[in-house]
Amino acid sequence: MDKIRTLLVRIASLFRRGKLDAELDEEVGAHIDLAVEAKVRGGMSAQQARREALREFGGVTQMKESYRMRRGLPFFEIAARDLHYAFRQLWKSPGFTLTTVLTLAIGIGVNTAIFSMMDAVVLRPLAIPDLNRVVTVAEDQGQGDYKQVALANYESWKQQSRSFESLAVRSEAVLGMTAASGGEATHVDAALTSANFFDVMQTQPLLGRVYAESECQSGKDGVLVLSYSFWQKHFGADPAVLGRTINLDQRAYTIVGVMPKVMQYPSAADMFLPLAPTAQQQANRVAHDYLVVGRLHPGVAINQAQEELRVIASRLAKAYPASNLGWSVRVEPLLDVINGDMTPMYYRLILSATGFVLLVVCANVANLQFVRGIRRRPEIAIRVALGAGRRRLLRHLLTENMVLGLLGAVAGIGVAAVCTHLCKIAMPESVLKYLAGWSNISLNGRALAFSLLLAILAGLASGVLPALRALRVDIVEQLKAGSRSASGSRPTQRLRDAFAVAQIAMSVLLVIGAALMSKGMWSLLHVADRYQPKQMLTFLADLPAARYDTDVKMTAWYSASLAKLRALPGVTHVEITTMLPDGNDQWLEDFRIENRPLMPGKFQSAVPISVSAGYFDTLHIAQYAGRMFNSEDAPGAQPAAVVSRTFAERYFPGQSALGHRIQMGTAGKNDTPWVRIVGIVEDVNYLWIDRTVEPDVYLNAAQMPPRSATFMVATAGDPLALGPAVRREMAALDPSVPLDEMQTYQQYLTVALTGLIYVASTLSVNAFIGLLLAAMGIFGVMGNLVAERTREIGVRIALGARPQDMLAMILRRAALLTGIGVTLGIALAAGMARLSADLIFGVQPYDPVVFISITVAIVAITLLVSWGPARRAATVDPMRALRAE
Amino acid sequence: MGESKSDVLQGTLDLMVLKTLESMGPLHGYGIARRIEQVSGDALTLNQGTIYPALLRLEQRGWIKSEWGVSETNRRAKFYSLSRIGKKQIEMETENWERVAATMARFLAPSN
Repeated sequence: MDKIRTLLVRIASLFRRGKLDAELDEEVGAHIDLAVEAKVRGGMSAQQARREALREFGGVTQMKESYRMRRGLPFFEIAARDLHYAFRQLWKSPGFTLTTVLTLAIGIGVNTAIFSMMDAVVLRPLAIPDLNRVVTVAEDQGQGDYKQVALANYESWKQQSRSFESLAVRSEAVLGMTAASGGEATHVDAALTSANFFDVMQTQPLLGRVYAESECQSGKDGVLVLSYSFWQKHFGADPAVLGRTINLDQRAYTIVGVMPKVMQYPSAADMFLPLAPTAQQQANRVAHDYLVVGRLHPGVAINQAQEELRVIASRLAKAYPASNLGWSVRVEPLLDVINGDMTPMYYRLILSATGFVLLVVCANVANLQFVRGIRRRPEIAIRVALGAGRRRLLRHLLTENMVLGLLGAVAGIGVAAVCTHLCKIAMPESVLKYLAGWSNISLNGRALAFSLLLAILAGLASGVLPALRALRVDIVEQLKAGSRSASGSRPTQRLRDAFAVAQIAMSVLLVIGAALMSKGMWSLLHVADRYQPKQMLTFLADLPAARYDTDVKMTAWYSASLAKLRALPGVTHVEITTMLPDGNDQWLEDFRIENRPLMPGKFQSAVPISVSAGYFDTLHIAQYAGRMFNSEDAPGAQPAAVVSRTFAERYFPGQSALGHRIQMGTAGKNDTPWVRIVGIVEDVNYLWIDRTVEPDVYLNAAQMPPRSATFMVATAGDPLALGPAVRREMAALDPSVPLDEMQTYQQYLTVALTGLIYVASTLSVNAFIGLLLAAMGIFGVMGNLVAERTREIGVRIALGARPQDMLAMILRRAALLTGIGVTLGIALAAGMARLSADLIFGVQPYDPVVFISITVAIVAITLLVSWGPARRAATVDPMRALRAE
Repeated sequence: MGESKSDVLQGTLDLMVLKTLESMGPLHGYGIARRIEQVSGDALTLNQGTIYPALLRLEQRGWIKSEWGVSETNRRAKFYSLSRIGKKQIEMETENWERVAATMARFLAPSN
């Protein structure tokens, strides 16, 4: 009770300091006067009485000091005083303050921006509660990659597992959407989910409702829920959208709800439909077409759930050996799956690069602080002589640094805001679809807290050493009149040189890293050049199942469309394929070889691609043996296949693959016919990011038409100019077939590389900033060097040294520092390149061109920047220098 | 921090001030200091100034209150008086001291 009252009184007295001080003075004065009166009454003289009274009182000033300490809150008062003092000092040197704050702003701002991006995209791409309890469950054949799930297996897991609060299943479909009134079809990506999918996600709909379990049966499933972005784009965020009907693949669906903005899983889904499997589908254990997500019970760890499911899986393998032998289960956090393999690594790269920039910034600021510390030596000497404690002074200096850091943070937030805005608007629409969370990037509380933390760290890091150095004053030396030993002691100089060297080394590292990555990216962009992607228009066509239910109908459509397009003016080739080379879409399928039974537990798979006959010629794919697809391969005849060289070598070593028959697809899925191998072609890579060669199997699209295919229209002119004509022809053939993603092949490739382009651009910007900061830093160091040694230079010149000797002296210094820095930087860069060569494709670790050119560039910049100060050194007027005090 | 000439514990000074105010009624700082000097005889020599931090402390706790008034010699001075809580504190502190003194006495007494 007493303590609280005391505290409150002390706080209150902070605001009445002046008045309370006056009162204390009056009270003490009254005390002395009363004492004097009493003594005078006792017979002393007035003078003596006063002396006695003061002696009896004791030290007045000291008493007042301890009184004041007890009266207010000393901690806050001192802190407030320090801050006030710091601001005043910084205000007095505007040049230094401005430079430092700007430098810090760049470092802190860029880092905060990157942090916000990382926060939104990598750490929290989905704002759903307890994201760490949501997992994906996939089937695993033990071959490293995992497969989608068969519906009957999902049902078994749901029945037998105790680890999950809810376990949901979904599949993906591409549907042609038309308005209820008809019209041209648009392509939409739909997620078909079980009703409890929304329980797993624990998201409330923004509008309306989600579908119930009763609606997940055929006949009752004519409802859907829109995703937020689709609702915005196609319905203009119209709140009256509930109850409207749209047609998907010629079937009517009613919109019953809209998902909120933060629900972006699956990120590509435009809408959610009820999954209504037939009884047959529910009992199917071989069609691995589904994805499973679940929410664990609180307290259940992922590996516990994994163990339990593995046990269940082995039980199923025993019960259903034909379908389930060799299959196990893999449980993974949803967050990892969303992020994929590349994203976290990209961000780690960017984060380290910007972290580096911050280091360079700190080195810069530290250097500025060193110099300033030297200039303030006289002031500090006086304060020490007057009795200021070292700790007190250190606190003062560090307070200044913190203030600088905080000012830098405030300015940095502005920089960060600009950066994040640029990033958001610069991301292409088509990539945005797949980046869950990108539109959630904002400078939220966490980002601000992050920048505050950086500010404090940067302020301290760049200020501690200079402050400690500044305190090592030799008082006598400093106070001697005329003493201008302002160049600082040897250790200080060495420390400054060390910082300069560090700056140069880090810049070299940054620039070389960015250059290597850019080169790697550049080479990736050109990896598909031999296909002449700039001269090819591509688009995706989807045949609606309702109207094209037989192979005959599909084949007819394909022939007609190919004929029509080939007739367009300027078109040289038109072919179709289900996979574009160097794309971002590759999958493998199991297959069987005739008369070669497979051992249980062993699997063989290949990449299946359906192509039209002229595909190999159009893409200049070399043929090795046999023949390509031709008119012999009519729809009714024995289906033909062409395989890649790797396929032939791997599965038919030492013999010819020609003439053998294979069947694609998993055992039990007996839809696909046996195909006969008629030719062998060279290997083609279908996944740009993974350069390992997979065996390819090409099927004849005329004999086994695919449900959807990519059209490749090669022309000598501008492919995009053909767009409208193509649409016209296709619409004339059948307007209900949606066409999508009409772009040049080059554009398609670029989109896949967007992530890499972003990283490389960011790195380049970082490198540029680093270079700039290093140049500024070196300029500062050299400039101060000359300024401090002005007297020395004056003396030397007076003693007969020539101006060019002084020039040479400064340049030599600069060259020495640069040489050490560059060597160090190159060594670090080589090491880093080795490490990242394994991680990032395209990076050539010891690219001599890059290393040499960057080195030359940095050396040139450094010497250029040192020229100014060096010239000043050469033009020092010895008389002026010696006279200056 | 101003130190007293002899080591007078803060708590003891507080209690002395309170007892002084109890017996003398409202008094200014000089008066309190003189009274303490007189009562303790020459056993205690303290800088009179140290009374003021003690008075501040007591006032912050709410045990005494202050008011500007006029002394007998027509001089303006700040007068201190006991508060209700202060009166209770005297009782508690006195009990404390007597207990401590009794215990110490037992230790210091020649063994019977």
